[in-house]
Amino acid sequence: MIAPVLELRNVTKTYGSFTAVDDLSLSVPAGCVHGFLGPNGAGKTTSLRMILEIIRPTRGSITLLGSPSALAVRSRIGYLPEEKGLYKKMKAWAIIAYFATLKGMGHRAAKARAFELLERYGLKDFAEARTEALSKGMGQKVQVLAAIAHDPEFVILDEPFSGLDPVNQTVMEDIITDLRKRGRTVIFSTHVMAHAERLCDRLVIIAKGRKLFDGTPAEARETLPRRVRIQTADDIAPLRSLPEVAGLLPMADGGCEVELQRGADAQAVLQACFAHGIRLRTFRFDEPTLHDVFVKLVGPDAKEAMYR
Amino acid sequence: MRPAFLIAWREFAENAKTKGFWLGLLLFPAIITASIQVPIFLEKQGTPTRRFVLVDAGGRFAPLLREKLAADETRRQEEALRDFARDATRQETLAGFIDPTDKQLDLARWRAAQGADWLKVPGFKPPAPRFAESPLPDDIAADAQPDEAARRLRPWLRGERKLSVDGKEASLFAAVLIPADLVELAQGDGTKDRRGIQYWSENLADIALPQLVENTINAELRRRGYTARGLDAATVQSIERTRAPMTSLNPKKAEGEETVGLADRIRQWLPSAFVYLLWIAIFAIAQILLTSVIEERSNRIIEVLLSSVTPGELMVGKLLGIASIGLTMLTVWIGSLVIIVVWKASGISPAQAAASGGMAQLPGDVATLLRTTWLLPAFAMYFLLGFLFYSGLILALGSTCNTLKEAQSFMGVIVLFLMVPLMLMTYIPRDPNGPLATALSWFPPYTPFVMMNRVTADPPMRDVVGTLVLMVVATAGVLWGAGKIFRMGILRTGQPPPLLEMIRWLRS
Repeated sequence: MIAPVLELRNVTKTYGSFTAVDDLSLSVPAGCVHGFLGPNGAGKTTSLRMILEIIRPTRGSITLLGSPSALAVRSRIGYLPEEKGLYKKMKAWAIIAYFATLKGMGHRAAKARAFELLERYGLKDFAEARTEALSKGMGQKVQVLAAIAHDPEFVILDEPFSGLDPVNQTVMEDIITDLRKRGRTVIFSTHVMAHAERLCDRLVIIAKGRKLFDGTPAEARETLPRRVRIQTADDIAPLRSLPEVAGLLPMADGGCEVELQRGADAQAVLQACFAHGIRLRTFRFDEPTLHDVFVKLVGPDAKEAMYR
Repeated sequence: MRPAFLIAWREFAENAKTKGFWLGLLLFPAIITASIQVPIFLEKQGTPTRRFVLVDAGGRFAPLLREKLAADETRRQEEALRDFARDATRQETLAGFIDPTDKQLDLARWRAAQGADWLKVPGFKPPAPRFAESPLPDDIAADAQPDEAARRLRPWLRGERKLSVDGKEASLFAAVLIPADLVELAQGDGTKDRRGIQYWSENLADIALPQLVENTINAELRRRGYTARGLDAATVQSIERTRAPMTSLNPKKAEGEETVGLADRIRQWLPSAFVYLLWIAIFAIAQILLTSVIEERSNRIIEVLLSSVTPGELMVGKLLGIASIGLTMLTVWIGSLVIIVVWKASGISPAQAAASGGMAQLPGDVATLLRTTWLLPAFAMYFLLGFLFYSGLILALGSTCNTLKEAQSFMGVIVLFLMVPLMLMTYIPRDPNGPLATALSWFPPYTPFVMMNRVTADPPMRDVVGTLVLMVVATAGVLWGAGKIFRMGILRTGQPPPLLEMIRWLRS
């Protein structure tokens, strides 16, 4: 495994008696897109701010790009905060160029880069517009472009999809995919599982400041038992004795969910049905989704996030 | 330091683009110029000749008043001709009559040579008379008593009827009505229920005419009184002119220069103007500082900034940028003030300045003052320190507020606090090195204000150096504390923190 570009070791952040982040350890390898999932108030933003050294952890240590201080390597980091805002009176290109120069780019290069990015992501016509004249989605795109204008190796995006329409969400996904193609490391937080599902190489789920899961999406799915959904008028009791089957769960609509043993092949259930003459009206085998994983892991805490 | 400069530059550039900045920049010199030029312009335009009627029931004072008015008019004409003659290009006709030493027109010689035509100079337009007597309307007798005359003149005085002057209508500006028994009235018999001389006019603000009437008649009455008592009027006059000469001197000044003149009085009072300037500048800038920091806070741009720069760099950058805006404004203001003063001063010769008394000398004195004292460098020093002191404070407070509204309540306290030096401004110049001024000089929040008021009064070197050092230390302290509060406050959400918590931040 490649050396991690980001490593958190037992990081804790407390505000008075409130613990925002509790003993969080995390390792992010280079070149991967890493999802940061969790309900509201889980400590995602606090963790990201600590990674950026905007705030300091109460305990624990953070190493980013080989440095114990994010500020020392700040020119190699890009950051999009959760709450989006721009200088209202500045022109779109000027803001992108300004943040790029703060990260160490030369003025001329920053300006050229700003126009290039605006053109690539469909905002060419708004380059000279003041940001107060932009729609929310456009403003957010400008802000993301400002975060990545200096071509950072490590990009942190806090809720990059919130407030974007489906088209712009796709553009945002493109931006992240482009970053990955270029070997950049991306951390983004979200509570929309669909984005995480499509984009993440790895993900971490936290709630109430604690890490609940850390791994690949496939590993996440494996934390849930896989189930086959069948509908039939016949008796399904014979399936219970199969070695692949962990249990049978009757459903309200008369159907039944067959919970499989870890690593078992759903095909075995189908064969058993044929063998026992069970006539199937429905046989559906779905991989569990991240959504299911999230709900299972976070439990009641997730409710708040779902209704957001 | 590069990020701090980048931030400073953005603050400067963005603020310099605002309308408010340019308005503030140009408004000040515009107002100064206007306040100098408008009265001059109005003077040149001249108020229209004002028509009045004179009804002297006793007939004893009218000729005297007319004589006095005519003399007044002649003096104005002479002055106008002198002004006219000052312009070198116009002096051809008058060439022989210009005094070679002071380049002034020798009026006596010119009038003697020209006789009645002394005003007929090509290109010269004598000023219109300020007051002109109109003949009485037909139905009013020249010796009517004041009450009767007033009753009859009322329609003219109220503008309901117009006078006819050279075939044109003109309105009656005033009526001067003198009772027949004025002399007896003036003796003090029964004056209480009598009005005496009546001056009727809708415009009671222009006091030139009633004053002339009053002074002339009083002088005449006194002259008659002296004569009646067998005193020689000329003798009395010469006695009345007796004046003991008196000069104010300042022992601190070099021998031969002790005379306290207008320049010295300005030296005492001009700093007040600069204190005002600093006061205005601090508040103009406070607004920019608060808006700027609160915009970043409420937009959460602050987070992006803090992922790129340290809070210290951010604060220094903002201070630098906005300080430069303030300094630019101040430089333009003071620069324009100096330019206007020098421009005004250059147009006036010393002789003329002396002739027209103190006021005309003012610009010249100010120019000399600015050249000869260390007022400007001192002002710059105290301004810079005072500005940094207060802007650090304001920035720190702003960093804890989410909205301008929240910040305004903090600003209210600062405004009240800063009212004190403003109120003291009139007292300090009176006793610039007294105990109050000295004590306040050593209170850092007031040091810049008080010291600016004192620098022209030659305060002890100990005070100047001491307060400057104290101010540097205090400013550094405020900036250090502001950095701490800024760091903690900038990311805080929700209500502004209570004071106790801020103090805890300072100690953390």
